Amino acid sequence: MTNVSTMTPVADQPEAPAKSGARLGLWLTLPAQLLVLFIALFPILMQVYISLTDWSPLDGIPWWRAHELWIGLLNYSDLIADSRFWGAMWRTLFVMAVCVPVQFLLGLGLAVLFVDDFRGKRVLYSTLLVPMMVVPAVAGYMFFMLFQSGGPVNDLLSIFTSDPVRIAWLSDPDLALIAVMVADIWQWTPLMFLILLAGMISVPQDQQMAAILLGASWWRRFFTIVLPRMKSIIIIALAIRVIEIFKIFDTLFIMTGGGPGVATETISVYIYKVTQQELIWSYVAAIALAILIVLSVVSVFAIKRMQRGQET
Amino acid sequence: MSEIVLESLGKTFGDFTALADMNLTIANGEFMALLGPSGCGKSTTMNMIAGMLRPSCGAIRFNGQDVVDVPMAKRGVGFVFQNYAIFTHMSVRENLAYGLRAQGVPTADIKKRIQAFAELLQLESMLNRRAAGLSVNILQRLAIGRSAILEPAIFLLDEPLSNVDAAFRAVMRSELKSLQGQFGQTMVYVTHDQLEAMTMADRIAVMDHGKLLQVGTPLEIYNNPADTFVAKFIGAPGMNILQGRLSQSADVASVGVPGVGSIPLSPALQSAVRQLTGPEVQVGFRPEQVNVAGAGLTMHVGLVERIGARTIVHLERGETTAKAVLPADVALPKAQSDWTFAVPQEDIRLFDPKSGQALKARTH
Amino acid sequence: MTSIRFENVSKYYGDALAVDQVSFEVPDNAFFCFFGPPLSGKSTILKLILGLETPDSGEIFFDGRPMRDVSPPDRNVAMVFQNLALFPHMTALENVRFPLVERKIDEATIRARVAEVTEKLHMAHILHKPPAQLSGGERQRVAIARALVRDPVAYLMDDPISALDARLREETRVELRRMQQDMAKTLIYVTHDQEEAMSVSDQMLILDKGRVRQIGAPHDLYDTPNSAYVASMLGAPAMNMAGTSDAVSALSNALDIDQGTMTVGIRPEHLKVVRKDGPGRVTAIEPLGATTVLSIEAAGVTWKASLRGQPKHEIGAPVELSVDAGGLHCFDAQGDALSAA
Repeated sequence: MTNVSTMTPVADQPEAPAKSGARLGLWLTLPAQLLVLFIALFPILMQVYISLTDWSPLDGIPWWRAHELWIGLLNYSDLIADSRFWGAMWRTLFVMAVCVPVQFLLGLGLAVLFVDDFRGKRVLYSTLLVPMMVVPAVAGYMFFMLFQSGGPVNDLLSIFTSDPVRIAWLSDPDLALIAVMVADIWQWTPLMFLILLAGMISVPQDQQMAAILLGASWWRRFFTIVLPRMKSIIIIALAIRVIEIFKIFDTLFIMTGGGPGVATETISVYIYKVTQQELIWSYVAAIALAILIVLSVVSVFAIKRMQRGQET
Repeated sequence: MSEIVLESLGKTFGDFTALADMNLTIANGEFMALLGPSGCGKSTTMNMIAGMLRPSCGAIRFNGQDVVDVPMAKRGVGFVFQNYAIFTHMSVRENLAYGLRAQGVPTADIKKRIQAFAELLQLESMLNRRAAGLSVNILQRLAIGRSAILEPAIFLLDEPLSNVDAAFRAVMRSELKSLQGQFGQTMVYVTHDQLEAMTMADRIAVMDHGKLLQVGTPLEIYNNPADTFVAKFIGAPGMNILQGRLSQSADVASVGVPGVGSIPLSPALQSAVRQLTGPEVQVGFRPEQVNVAGAGLTMHVGLVERIGARTIVHLERGETTAKAVLPADVALPKAQSDWTFAVPQEDIRLFDPKSGQALKARTH
Repeated sequence: MTSIRFENVSKYYGDALAVDQVSFEVPDNAFFCFFGPPLSGKSTILKLILGLETPDSGEIFFDGRPMRDVSPPDRNVAMVFQNLALFPHMTALENVRFPLVERKIDEATIRARVAEVTEKLHMAHILHKPPAQLSGGERQRVAIARALVRDPVAYLMDDPISALDARLREETRVELRRMQQDMAKTLIYVTHDQEEAMSVSDQMLILDKGRVRQIGAPHDLYDTPNSAYVASMLGAPAMNMAGTSDAVSALSNALDIDQGTMTVGIRPEHLKVVRKDGPGRVTAIEPLGATTVLSIEAAGVTWKASLRGQPKHEIGAPVELSVDAGGLHCFDAQGDALSAA
């Protein structure tokens, strides 16, 4: 029971900020920093450049001469008026708004289960991680088969109804998105589970014991001790999933191809189609940039929250 | 308020016996210290009283009621962890209120009690501060207050001063003692520091390797240790235990320590040694009981530690070592020379050479 | 032999002064102890000696040679860490040889030096064992031998035994003292435990928020502290401090109080307590076996008296207090000691 907490009440002597050491460190890491900057920054700058032109590979000129087809912010104004784009955006946000909370709650529930030991824990643990390790395209094909009108999902549902269920999931514009969301939840809940479990385990044991001894029920402990101390981890987990799910593509595309029609066309699918089918790269650059800005805002928010959380 | 009875209490972890056959009664309102080195079973015992561990055998009774099946949350026991386990993500006030809220006490009452205890513990100015980053002194009071506010009948403290600087420990000890005086709860205090136990406890239970060796008031244990372990563990430095040999001359029995000298035995001790099967015996006397003006024992002076009010003299002769504690105003023996001293008869203690048990005078 | 000398050394951490115009000289082959509460600058001074930090002002001299531009390895000062940092995959002997092997010293010299050190520290019987098979005390010896084999100017230890059980601390500090005497090398030691400091040191330096308050042999600092601060730092229970008039009313014997005294200090062992009708009232009794500490309320002050043995006293009983001759310490308004007439 002793020495479980990581908290040390007695203050340590402050560490001297070795000024000369820090400066030397800066110089030593400069080459690496420049390299990373180049790798990260260059494509973005290229994207910005192209998005301000009307260039496409079919034009016959190399990309660096795209300025000859300068159109300024025209792509962006087109983007704002593009209803198909907004449809894709709306669908993506809808998927995010449903899947992320569901994955979070399921992951949290599983984490709670796995905090304590039980029989068969290790076996169940390995099984639970499998979905995450499946190649997304393979998962897409798997769910494609599962959701066929004569497939296992319908057979399962038929157990509960008197008439056999023959829903055409993937060809129904209203239901296809649900099928896609189920696939995503199946695949990525394990990731949430892993991250949240790690966070839950690191909640100091003795504080939980103290809470029990003060008479707290499991629920009270969960909401007053466990969850608050998991704040940083929860934000990281949510941020990771939000950013990833925004980019949802592989599984979905194999399952439905974005269809029927545009019923499951998310942003990534839309960009893919515009690029492959219509080859208006400059327009695509504009779209990609717009999304990058949105996701960057989310990341910065998460990082700030995480830094503040570290001061606990 | 509660009386705690431990009956044949034991705990094993696989092959390892952490505690064996412990019998102890802690009276209502008593401050009982569980004292012993690391691994002696004191924390295991306390964790079982709290309900954090389930006994392998035996019973635990609060006021006559068996509590082994009562879950932790319902035992009504206050617990102060070694690291205090303060909820650092909450304010001081929220920490104090936690237990009361968990037990559904009405908000108005909670406010009143927090105010009363904050005053008592001098935490009023801190109430709205975040608990993280506060000094150890405050954290200790908060840890106690958080449990005390529920007015438990029993208070358990697990080495709460081990994280505290030597300088502050004395201050904290008196704070703890006065708090216990005020609340009047039954307190069980786990420590490895005999000074802490002697200073604060009404009675001390000395433990080693999972066994309870002796229970008694600090002076009882100090003056009449039940075995050589207790004799050496209590006191700083602990009792000197020397290998001796009984000799019987015509009129007086004495015990001789080879190379050192011999000590005549008092009548009480003479009757005690009749229990022995052989001439070997272990002789004990406390370092501070040495009489510099007397003679009878001679040893070689090694190191001399001058520590403020007292001086510790390290003595040796062949394989035998001993220590003497002299007040600072007494002339220091010369280092690296022989030194003669005596020990008053009534301060000599004898122990069985094989079992280490104290030899007690038989009252026939 | 090298003496280490600090001349008006100061060091800032950000805006705060960690070390404030510290001057001292460490005598040769002494067990020299820096003592003070946490954050009083002890560890900073160690780092300055090692060369891990440089002074913002003042100079450090080893044997008269300024150390300002001398790097840590060139200063030849060895540090023994609290966690000992022994190499677990090497035997004790290999651990001790390591610093010399690192510096590519020739084998003959290595053997000679290692033999000298290990003999002085009585380590022959443990040399072939890896650290895992050694007791705590033996491991400490290996760590010290490893530090000494470089024949350093001095070796440093930062609070090495505070994490140990009370009993082990008592034994280990004696071991350390013996080892230092056998090695006849300067040992610079940092601790916040006053009994430990007084037990082991030849000389102590008392620190207060980065400033030197007093330097001297432990018993000199104990018997003649130059300030109320030093007086209260040494001795347990701490010295009783009271205003002059309170002291006069509380004590029954005539007191020889110097001019300009604001505060009077009396050590608990110099306070005599007699069961008699008097101004004092016993409020607490701590039976320690060898001594008994009484808390007594008198003249609005709580006095602690440390009595030998186990005299009988009762809580609430009236007592008379008096002080031994020579047990009275007088301090002026600034807290400095006034010499007794």
